[in-house]
Amino acid sequence: MIPLLGRTAVLVALAACAVGTVTGAFAGVKRSETALRWTRWMAYAFGAASTAAFVLMEYALFADDFSVAYVAEVGSTQTPHWVTFVSLWSSLNGSILLWGFVLGVYVAGLAWTTRGRYPGLTAWALSVSLAVGVFFSFLVAGIANPFELVDPAPVDGPGPNPLLQNHILMVIHPPTLYLGYVGMTVPFAMGAAALLAGRMDAAWVRLLRRWMLVPWGFLTVGIVLGGWWSYEVLGWGGWWAWDPVENASFMPWLTATAFVHSAMVMERKDQLKGWTVSLVLASFLLTILGTFMTRSGVFNSVHSFTQSPIGPVFLTFLAVALVFSVVLLAARVDTLSPATGGLAGPASREVGFLANNLLFAALTFTVLLGTVYPLLNEWATGEQISVGQPYFDRMGAPLGVAIVFLMGVGPALPWGRSASGALLARLGLPAALAVVGVALGIATGMDGGWVLLTYAVSGFALGTTLLELWRPAAARAASLGESLPVAVGKVLVSARRRYGGYVVHVGVIVIAVAHATATFATERHSVTFTQDTPKDVAGYTLTYKGSEWQDQPHRKSLVANIEIARDGAVIGTFGPRLNHYKSMGQPIGTPVVRSGLKEDLYLSLVNVDEQAGTASLDVLREPLVWWLWFGGGLMLLGTLVAAWPASGRRASGRAAPQAAK
Amino acid sequence: MNWKVLGAGLLLVVPLVAVLASGIGNDPKGVSNALEGTAAPDFTLQTMDGEPVTLASLAGRPVVLNFWSTWCQPCKLEHPHLQQAASVYGPKGVVFLGVLYNDEVAKAKPFLKRNGSVFPTLLDPGQRVAIDFGVAGVPETFVISSDGRITQKFSGPVSYQVLAQSLEPLL
Repeated sequence: MIPLLGRTAVLVALAACAVGTVTGAFAGVKRSETALRWTRWMAYAFGAASTAAFVLMEYALFADDFSVAYVAEVGSTQTPHWVTFVSLWSSLNGSILLWGFVLGVYVAGLAWTTRGRYPGLTAWALSVSLAVGVFFSFLVAGIANPFELVDPAPVDGPGPNPLLQNHILMVIHPPTLYLGYVGMTVPFAMGAAALLAGRMDAAWVRLLRRWMLVPWGFLTVGIVLGGWWSYEVLGWGGWWAWDPVENASFMPWLTATAFVHSAMVMERKDQLKGWTVSLVLASFLLTILGTFMTRSGVFNSVHSFTQSPIGPVFLTFLAVALVFSVVLLAARVDTLSPATGGLAGPASREVGFLANNLLFAALTFTVLLGTVYPLLNEWATGEQISVGQPYFDRMGAPLGVAIVFLMGVGPALPWGRSASGALLARLGLPAALAVVGVALGIATGMDGGWVLLTYAVSGFALGTTLLELWRPAAARAASLGESLPVAVGKVLVSARRRYGGYVVHVGVIVIAVAHATATFATERHSVTFTQDTPKDVAGYTLTYKGSEWQDQPHRKSLVANIEIARDGAVIGTFGPRLNHYKSMGQPIGTPVVRSGLKEDLYLSLVNVDEQAGTASLDVLREPLVWWLWFGGGLMLLGTLVAAWPASGRRASGRAAPQAAK
Repeated sequence: MNWKVLGAGLLLVVPLVAVLASGIGNDPKGVSNALEGTAAPDFTLQTMDGEPVTLASLAGRPVVLNFWSTWCQPCKLEHPHLQQAASVYGPKGVVFLGVLYNDEVAKAKPFLKRNGSVFPTLLDPGQRVAIDFGVAGVPETFVISSDGRITQKFSGPVSYQVLAQSLEPLL
């Protein structure tokens, strides 16, 4: 029954996308109201049908309906409920089903937020996004069909990949990334619509920017959660490894970040239009590239799905989308009213944004090159090599430091003219904080060149950001006689976009400092403990208290009980473990992380010799790691402040005077 | 048409697609081809009935080594094919050996009783032999020539025809 219903839902989605693509294009060319109305309905139908397909698959997983091929592949009667729920995106075909579901909801959302407005642009935007929907529905209906009927149905399945069963973050990390990836379709469609219609008015740009902030926010959170997951689960104590799949999520984030900045120049000064649209197109194309990387089996990565026939199909789609974008851009970019005059003086805000954009573009290209270089090399020499962390660290660190530095300069620069002597006065506090940063670094023994440089630019950027947050509030408090907290609140509300952005900046600064510190100063010890014999490691006293086996339906775990004490006081007993899953040869560890504001103590169990009464552990002391996640939280908060929709009229009413400033 | 944009765009896009396309069909975890042609790692394992079997002692006869488990669906699919191949090629001198991969004898025995078994299954405590052979998942099947070299490795279920094709030249 489920195979039939599921397949029907998928085919309805495919049909709705196909019809909507055509009617949308027709509405765009002919300005037909009727065709546009049809296109909207097709968008809603796509949303409804893809939601139905998703719900049906979850139902099949919970009902242990092993006659559904995908359930037979990843389901199991033994898994806990939350694992059953996440099984849907634990393997290739299900993840594409999830992709289709999210896309359906986004496209329906686009149809909803544009109702009654910008008919010409909306028609094209819906047409393009439904065309993307055609591709994904086609995958779900065809080669990635998760609803295939299995006859006779097996009585039980293997359950999803053990690594994915290991942590609750598996519930949120992948869907968050998907919401980011898939959401890039909407700005892409809107950018393409502007090119197809040959105009890009300010209202459309504002809507586009908000539609970009949604996936950008999800991508930010998804990347941070991915780092957190890898830290909490994988047992190597790191959070970022320049793995191809991490890069795949990082590249669209970089171009989208560049867009969020260049869109401001476009809105205010009507400049950089072609460049800004290119960034929108690139962000989407990079997500497709990323999806290809994870699903084609071309790249070696902890994240990749197994080899599958889907690679060539995805590559074809990527090639079509790339060529479509390049040709469309080349054909129409000159129709977006060409920029009037050059950018204002060399030290103006516009130039700051341009420099920011060039840095983001350079970083994107660096990451892209490093990611595909192994393929390039294999193609040229036939040898498999891996580029690895040293390349990315060496190339990425200077660009990252430059970006943070610019974050400290840009907001202080005036729009439309070159900064004068007043600029120097505004940079007094930031410069002082940069010195404080370096002094703090030296005082705490962080004597690496890059760490100190990171502290310097971070202090500098923090100074500028705080000043920008503070100055208007202080001015308001003085002139209106409000108390300072009230003034800060009012200022935040009155220009949410800008101040939300500054909150994001603070989050980035926090992450930069934490990342540099933890990378530089982490201590790593490999220690073998004998039972009940305390050892001093990394400033703590650790005692192995013996091991035990814990049985759960889906796994058996060997837990080593480690008592942690510091300065003579016992903090508690913790149990890093090795989990044995029935479908996996090697055990998978679950480390224990004792997190603190100053540092984390990270225990990863390597081996237990039950007869000899010994346990081998990796013990890591990692400073400031907690602040990475806190910085991610700040970025989310800032994004919410900036992107939260004001009631429609007020939003457009307020944007006008701001743009005129 | 802005020819500069078109040229620059295509200059970036075409090589990228070409490089990605060159990677398709590669197995980045490609151990399979590396093992083919090399000497099979020797082992001594016990059958489920406790009889020791040493690979080296089978020199002079081709060997089919099949890693499997009861929890693996494709293994169930290929089981009758292996049985058939063993009953045809066993009498012609080919030795068929199963290796139980990460599974329990208590489950494997009823499975073989129900589905038939014409060749012995070995136990591999700690997956030592599976690791030596670079087994990444089950089923995997290794065809070893009479001089002890791995001539072919199959990941995923094998069919009777495929096995027959692989064995004929070794007889």
